[in-house]
Amino acid sequence: MINETRRSRLLLYVALGAFALFALTPYFWVIRTSLLTNFAAINPETGYLPALDALTLTAYTDIWEQFDFVTFLKNSLVVSISATLISLVFSIPGAYAFARLDFPGRKLLFYTAVFTIMFPWIVITIPVYEVFYVLGLINTLSGIIVALSIFVLPQTIWLLQGFFRQGIPENIEEAALIDGHTEIGAFLRIVLPLSAPAVGAAALFSFLTAWNNFLWVFVLTSDEDVRTATVAIHFILGSDVLREWNILMAAVVLLVAPPVIFYGLSQRYVGEGLGGN
Amino acid sequence: MAQVELDSITKVFEDTSGPIVAVEELSLDIPDGEFVVFVGPSGCGKSTTLRMLAGLEQITDGELRLDGEPVNDVSPKNRDIAMVFQSYALYPHKTVRGNMGYGLSLSTDLSDEEVDRRVVEAAEMMGIEDLLDKKPGSLSGGQQQRVATGRAIVREPAVFLFDEPLSNLDAQLRKHMRTELSRIHSELGITTIYVTHDQEEAMTMADRIVILNDGQLQQVGSPKEVYYRPANTFVADFIGSPSMNFFDVKLRTESDGTGTLVGNGFTYEVSEKIVQQSNGEGDYILSVRPENFTVVDSLSPTSIEATVDVVEVIGSDNFLYLDVAGKECRVRAPVEVEPEEGEVIQISFDEEDLHLFDRNTEDALIHGHERAESEPKLIEHKA
Repeated sequence: MINETRRSRLLLYVALGAFALFALTPYFWVIRTSLLTNFAAINPETGYLPALDALTLTAYTDIWEQFDFVTFLKNSLVVSISATLISLVFSIPGAYAFARLDFPGRKLLFYTAVFTIMFPWIVITIPVYEVFYVLGLINTLSGIIVALSIFVLPQTIWLLQGFFRQGIPENIEEAALIDGHTEIGAFLRIVLPLSAPAVGAAALFSFLTAWNNFLWVFVLTSDEDVRTATVAIHFILGSDVLREWNILMAAVVLLVAPPVIFYGLSQRYVGEGLGGN
Repeated sequence: MAQVELDSITKVFEDTSGPIVAVEELSLDIPDGEFVVFVGPSGCGKSTTLRMLAGLEQITDGELRLDGEPVNDVSPKNRDIAMVFQSYALYPHKTVRGNMGYGLSLSTDLSDEEVDRRVVEAAEMMGIEDLLDKKPGSLSGGQQQRVATGRAIVREPAVFLFDEPLSNLDAQLRKHMRTELSRIHSELGITTIYVTHDQEEAMTMADRIVILNDGQLQQVGSPKEVYYRPANTFVADFIGSPSMNFFDVKLRTESDGTGTLVGNGFTYEVSEKIVQQSNGEGDYILSVRPENFTVVDSLSPTSIEATVDVVEVIGSDNFLYLDVAGKECRVRAPVEVEPEEGEVIQISFDEEDLHLFDRNTEDALIHGHERAESEPKLIEHKA
């Protein structure tokens, strides 16, 4: 006879286990397939857990030889990091203004910004292409950076303003004003250091959004030398007839690795940032 | 140290539903070194006034002067003030030492050693020297309160501002900190402006109490003044616990010059002196503090018949909740007086302890005590 608390705890772990299995199975399948030969990957006789001698790194060496993956990954890193930094530079003061200052049109501007998060980007691809074409930003990394920064900005503003509003008591800033800071000084020296977890969380989300972005890179580029890894996979996919699943999955592993590492490094801060402490 | 002058200070907040007047034409002179307590119910404008003094809130109209200098447009950092917030507002990422020394290093060019010496000195004064290297997050509410006060002390400002600094503490600690703050004030002699909604805190700490309601000044005076000679029914009701009893009465004058206050269910004879001070026959509000009633044995021209509703035993006293012709009357009686619930008793009070207010304006007309400073007579209980 198990008592009430132990039973509910057991149920909790069973539920968590089931959810973990559901969440982790795709990752397992991607890694498994990326380590098989092309034939083994589509062979129905290859087990869920393939024999050790069936595993090989050929998919990874092939991808390196067949495609310019170094360039794709480098492009992805450059645009994602740049877009993250640029969006933070604008969203930190923007979010702070939305959270703290009272100016005419504040609500309208804020909801306009938030609305763009919900807006389906695909609808505006043609006008955006036009604008970027006129500005000479088609097929350039700077064009992609500008596009991604702009489209990442609203979610960063939304995330940060919530933190500034609830996470930092106004009294702390007022104490800083009395202690001898100007408003800018209080923001830079007191508010910003206290906001590190939230800024970290916002940076992570910006990075992930930029890294995973397919649409804008696909629309705004055609040359291989400015292609990012996310779009490159689309081309690796090839036709339905000659699809090399192991190579495709190896590409996916390479694509997913950097964000996972980035998340791992910032996880502690991100948790705090989302918790609003 | 500084003299603080508020000259017709007005604060209006603009809201979507229209302007809200938070403070209306508040004028007050606070001499150097005085401990002034602003007290009033929530939303009375006391905190807004303090924030205007600190420079955290723009003054809509009027002039604020520190040592004769208008400071309406001076930024908080240049006002030479220190403020203790209700939430303490300590910097969570700095140690206690960092919190206390931050203002000094920012606003003065003192050497690090000198800043540290003053921080340690203030910490010793507050009894927190062993907490200097801890972060605020690991401190209890009482300790955080001490750090916040220490942070203000270390600045040696011209004016101390306290915004309900004790309201997050438990009753025991609050009483203790009250004494500590009074001690610090007498040691340093710095002009102190303290905001609270707790009238007991105001009474025990203040040199002068400023009572506000709906953004308007109700009365300024020493604790004894506001207690013995309240300016209107609001002050009478707000100061003192349990609060004052109010009865609607009519004054009837007699041929011999004396008079009778006729209330619902009772009459009370008053002397010629009271009749002369009054506006003659008419409607008044009679007020008597619960501690000024005595339970008497027999009927008399100055006794009131009442039925006992509830008796609350608090140890040092008994609170009697009585029914006087349908109106509640609170009486603070000595422990020996413990009537049965439902019992009919006679209560009375000395003429010296009555207050009469104008029924229309609710302003005070007559106080039994001629001067607040006069030694209040010891209350004799004739049970």
